[in-house]
Amino acid sequence: MKLNLCCQLLKTSLGRFSTISTRQISSNIVQKQNDIFNKEFKRQQNAVGRIEKINVTYKGLPEDAELIMNKNLSTPYNCAQHMSEMLCDRSVLALIDGVKLWDMHRPLESDCELQLLHFYDSDPYHSNRTFWRSCSIMLGSVLSNAFKDNVEVQLHSFPSPNVKSGSFVYDVQLSGVDNWKPTSAELRVLSAEMVKLAYEAVPFERLSISQDLAEALFEHNKYKLEQIPSIVQQSIDGKVIVYRIKDHIDISRGPMMSNTNHLGRCTIAAVSFRFFLSPPSCLLSSNATTCCHSLSIYIYVDYVIVSHS
Amino acid sequence: MNQAEVTKLVSRLRIPILAKHRRLRNPEGPQGRVKKLRSIVTALLKYERIEVYHYDGDEARGYVERLISDAIRHGDTHKETMDMADFWIEEKNIVHKLFKVLVPRFQNTTVSYTRAYNAPIPHATPEKSDLSFHSVIELRGNPFPPLVQRAVDSRLHIQNVLLDEAKKEYRAQKYAEIAQDLESRANADSSAKSEELAQNNSQTPSETTTETETK
Repeated sequence: MKLNLCCQLLKTSLGRFSTISTRQISSNIVQKQNDIFNKEFKRQQNAVGRIEKINVTYKGLPEDAELIMNKNLSTPYNCAQHMSEMLCDRSVLALIDGVKLWDMHRPLESDCELQLLHFYDSDPYHSNRTFWRSCSIMLGSVLSNAFKDNVEVQLHSFPSPNVKSGSFVYDVQLSGVDNWKPTSAELRVLSAEMVKLAYEAVPFERLSISQDLAEALFEHNKYKLEQIPSIVQQSIDGKVIVYRIKDHIDISRGPMMSNTNHLGRCTIAAVSFRFFLSPPSCLLSSNATTCCHSLSIYIYVDYVIVSHS
Repeated sequence: MNQAEVTKLVSRLRIPILAKHRRLRNPEGPQGRVKKLRSIVTALLKYERIEVYHYDGDEARGYVERLISDAIRHGDTHKETMDMADFWIEEKNIVHKLFKVLVPRFQNTTVSYTRAYNAPIPHATPEKSDLSFHSVIELRGNPFPPLVQRAVDSRLHIQNVLLDEAKKEYRAQKYAEIAQDLESRANADSSAKSEELAQNNSQTPSETTTETETK
């Protein structure tokens, strides 16, 4: 109850302050985005056509295996399902032919050698980075949903993951509030939203889409629209890669971890303001500290990053 | 007084031994106890890994350690050692194994010859309600797959990476504080010194004048 009284901006305490019209607008946008995503997903599935088989050689615990899977349909997660529940639960990322990092829910394209990575490998560098990146995108999802409807949230982007910084970050623009200094209760609500998302155990869905479609997907977000052309330029095949968690869709080169339930405990520790020369707006960046699943200690690393550029 | 040092007479074992032997209950009395221990010693030397009641096993483990240790110390020509082996080992081909296989295996080791693990305690079921404390005892260097996993290097796990960075930051903060402290102290010292100097300078002429006056 106390939490609810304290939070003036966040939805958790909302109820009576919400204006139905703005809420409908935001939910309409989400609905539209998801419709586009679903349609494109279905189109790509249908485009596979006649189903061909591929040989997947699995290397690792509990034992090496030979699997015959469906080309462009079966994912590393499906391979794990054939072998062991333990592999399904703990695998964060797949390694194809010993070099290529592959999402757990991305269809395999040809014969390959498969390894499944997790957080307790002897060198979990890639798993850690993936975890950090995925947490950033989850934070973006939480931030875009958590605020009341009189606050307009525009997601900007998140920096490349750096585990050593001790925090994962997402930059967002809040309009409708000036100089928001979140109370500890508000931070706690954000943290709770994050944990809720983790508990829901939602898979990260990956889709590679064309520039036009990406622009249609993010037409309401001016920052994302600005970023899309440069992303297309940088990519090899001229495609934009988008991820969906539940109903939140975001752009990222990936790879992402398989499921939100890899995130264990987490707290949003600080919110800092960044000032950019162009565009002349005030961006908010949220930092969170975290631990991955099945961790018994709780790390409080209270970093606040304020950069003026 | 003039007691011989026990460690020179008896090998020092590399496992903890109770000061007093356990009174293991047996329907046949003390003889039954020894019989039981002998069978465990023989089994351990024969199979190299056994699961037994914890107290029996722990008691027998000491005898196995002692046998191997003596065999390494005295070799197979020593009569007392041979008698001991003959007494504790029920199957005579295992005596050969002791001197021909186990002595070369353990000759240059610095740790104990056996290892003991606590066995898992099973749930009680109507069929099996005996939940005694079992342990698994094995000879080192046995051919079986290891019972416990080798510890994974956890330095690069995400929680340790984070903790390391936090430690680094904390240390840097402390060093900065110390440096600042020293600097402020040095500044205070130097300012105090200069004040003293200034005072001395102002005082010296008067002193000299007084001295001259006294002279």
